[in-house]
Amino acid sequence: MRQIAIYGKGGIGKSTTTQNLTAALAEMGKKVMVVGCDPKADSTRLLLGGLAQKAVLDVLREEGEMIDLEDIMKVGFSGIRCVESGGPEPGVGCAGRGIITSISMLENLDAYDENLDYVFYDVLGDVVCGGFAMPIREGKAKEIYIVASGEMMAMYAANNICKGVKKYANTGGVRLGGIICNSRKVDNEEAMLKAFAEKLGSQLIQFVPRDNMVQRAEIHKKTVIQYDPSQPQADVYRSLAMNIDGNEMFVIPEPMHTDELEKLLMEYGLLD
Amino acid sequence: MSMNERSAVLSDRRRQIYKKDTADRDADIVCDVNSVAGAMSQRGCVYNGARVVLNPITDAVHLVHGAIGCAAYTCDIRGSLSSGPETYRYSFSTDMREKDVIFGGEEKLYQALRGLIEEHRPPAVFAYSTCIVGVIGDDLRAVCKRVEEETGTIVVPVQSEGFKGNKADGYHAACDALLEIIGRSDRGADSPRAINLLGEFNLAGELWVIKNYLAELGIEVVATLTGDARVAEIMQAHTAGLNAVQCAGSMTYLAKKMQKKYGIPFVKVSFFGLDDTEEALIKIAGFFDEPALVKRAWKLCRERRAAVDRELDLYRDVLKGKRAAVYMGGAFKTLSLIKAFRDLGMEVVVAGSQTGKSEDYEEIRAEAMDGAVIIDDAGVLELVELIGEQEVDILVGGVKERPIAYKSGIGFCDFNHERKRFFSGFEGLLNFAREVHATVNSPVWAAYRKITTADRRPAIADKECRFERGDGR
Repeated sequence: MRQIAIYGKGGIGKSTTTQNLTAALAEMGKKVMVVGCDPKADSTRLLLGGLAQKAVLDVLREEGEMIDLEDIMKVGFSGIRCVESGGPEPGVGCAGRGIITSISMLENLDAYDENLDYVFYDVLGDVVCGGFAMPIREGKAKEIYIVASGEMMAMYAANNICKGVKKYANTGGVRLGGIICNSRKVDNEEAMLKAFAEKLGSQLIQFVPRDNMVQRAEIHKKTVIQYDPSQPQADVYRSLAMNIDGNEMFVIPEPMHTDELEKLLMEYGLLD
Repeated sequence: MSMNERSAVLSDRRRQIYKKDTADRDADIVCDVNSVAGAMSQRGCVYNGARVVLNPITDAVHLVHGAIGCAAYTCDIRGSLSSGPETYRYSFSTDMREKDVIFGGEEKLYQALRGLIEEHRPPAVFAYSTCIVGVIGDDLRAVCKRVEEETGTIVVPVQSEGFKGNKADGYHAACDALLEIIGRSDRGADSPRAINLLGEFNLAGELWVIKNYLAELGIEVVATLTGDARVAEIMQAHTAGLNAVQCAGSMTYLAKKMQKKYGIPFVKVSFFGLDDTEEALIKIAGFFDEPALVKRAWKLCRERRAAVDRELDLYRDVLKGKRAAVYMGGAFKTLSLIKAFRDLGMEVVVAGSQTGKSEDYEEIRAEAMDGAVIIDDAGVLELVELIGEQEVDILVGGVKERPIAYKSGIGFCDFNHERKRFFSGFEGLLNFAREVHATVNSPVWAAYRKITTADRRPAIADKECRFERGDGR
């Protein structure tokens, strides 16, 4: 079983990418579980055809600790098992603790079936406190992929996440598997992200071009692979799935200094 | 013995321990700093400091917002007596659980406050913040304000998150909470001779002893902070002419704030020991600029001293030359104990406190005998070692120090929350002398030493079972 965590700046497209990626893996015959680690609980909406999921923490709150796995795990597209951690409303309580609690609960309920090929953790934006690093602690995800784009703030966030990965790499053994570029149609984007990934000591594992088909599928509460498997964009996600399935490059990233990062942006971002 | 030779003393702690002798008479004693990791400090946490100061307010509800342990381990902690309401002896808690931490505890706090006010109809509620509340960021103040507006009951947030500092920061949090109540109502007629007693907690009824003296002199007590206090009295505390501060550690901060805000001067007093009690009464009487009042105070002191002196002599005979270690929360109590022991013919050879300030230690240094060790924020092992090194016969402290004394095979007197007889005033010293005699001269210690000096390492199979100790003995 490979456990993989997906990180990246808020709004960059982590959930969309994760669901299209896992849909492609499932299409390849892989057995997959997706664990949403975001209080908004919207990480499995496409795979389940809507927000049909009861979050782990909502069940805990409403029904106490006597929980069955069926209460919190729904089977979506192509047998993908879907779990949402959930969490508090914005501004109250402790969402980080919520992630720790819900992942512990999944372990107690034997959600980590040995027959699974992949477990994906879709973790919200920035790793703001210890709880959000739960998926990459000892015994959890060993691989991380960071979703980024050619926009400065996305790269800045990705670099920052690498700092967290580096810390946990030394204690928990997690490694960076690569950068996924979810394109924002920035000038020279692919070359820039490729250089960025290499500076970090890693690789650009997939360039995902911007395609309105993704948006159209989302409105229909589906991944592209479900909505129209013949689309070129579906092939992009299949390519990402193949690359991750065959990936052998796992590194401890070397985060950049800010001035180094800005230099890279100048070099690739200004084409005149 | 020099500090460096004491195996129980961590190097970071050395400057907080000082031996009074001719060599380093002018060295500064470091104090008022956070405890050193690994030193096993005897100090309580911030919340604990706030709780012990406020808890004696008898008619208030004390609600601890946090996990259950914080409330459970401080339940009825003070041992302070009430002449009326007993509401303060409950230990209410919001009992924060995992899901309250994740989803926030504000709603639970709100419900608890509403429920408690409905059931107990208290004049005020103190809502204490604990560590977890500080971490997850519940808005304690906003919830308290909302409930106060809805119910008309005073609800005071006590900002006492444990990780904010040490016990002294808890005292500050408690004083800040008191300042939110003081000044909320005025008395009809002001008495010309009215004072507040600050830092008197009515352990074993000690406040009543002091109040009797003051009543005899015609001095009114507006509010006691916080022994046997009522919220209504505290609301009027700003109308007093003088603040007499007994527990300096916890209440000097409040006295200074009240001086600034209401112009009330303060004096430091102690009602323990014959000399200190006399000095306290004369100081208070002298404040009012009435020669006749001071004269009456002298007369009272003379009569009360005479009444106890003869019986005290009996104890002075059997206590002469015994050696005491004193380790209190506030340094002013330590100072008072040094003087009282001297009156009983005993020597204080170790003197320390959890929260003393530089000026307190200067006074202790002046009062202490040559060869006495002065220690700030002591740890368990340090006290054990000092008891042996200084050949101590009795340790005076609180509940956490009791087992240290007994395991070291010496007497112990609880001068803190768990005292059962009043020690204040002239008669109080007699109680104290009786208790010290009973424990110091108890035959149990000789029997105990006989047992403990015998070989107490049983053999398990062919292996010696070793009791490893940090002090290497």
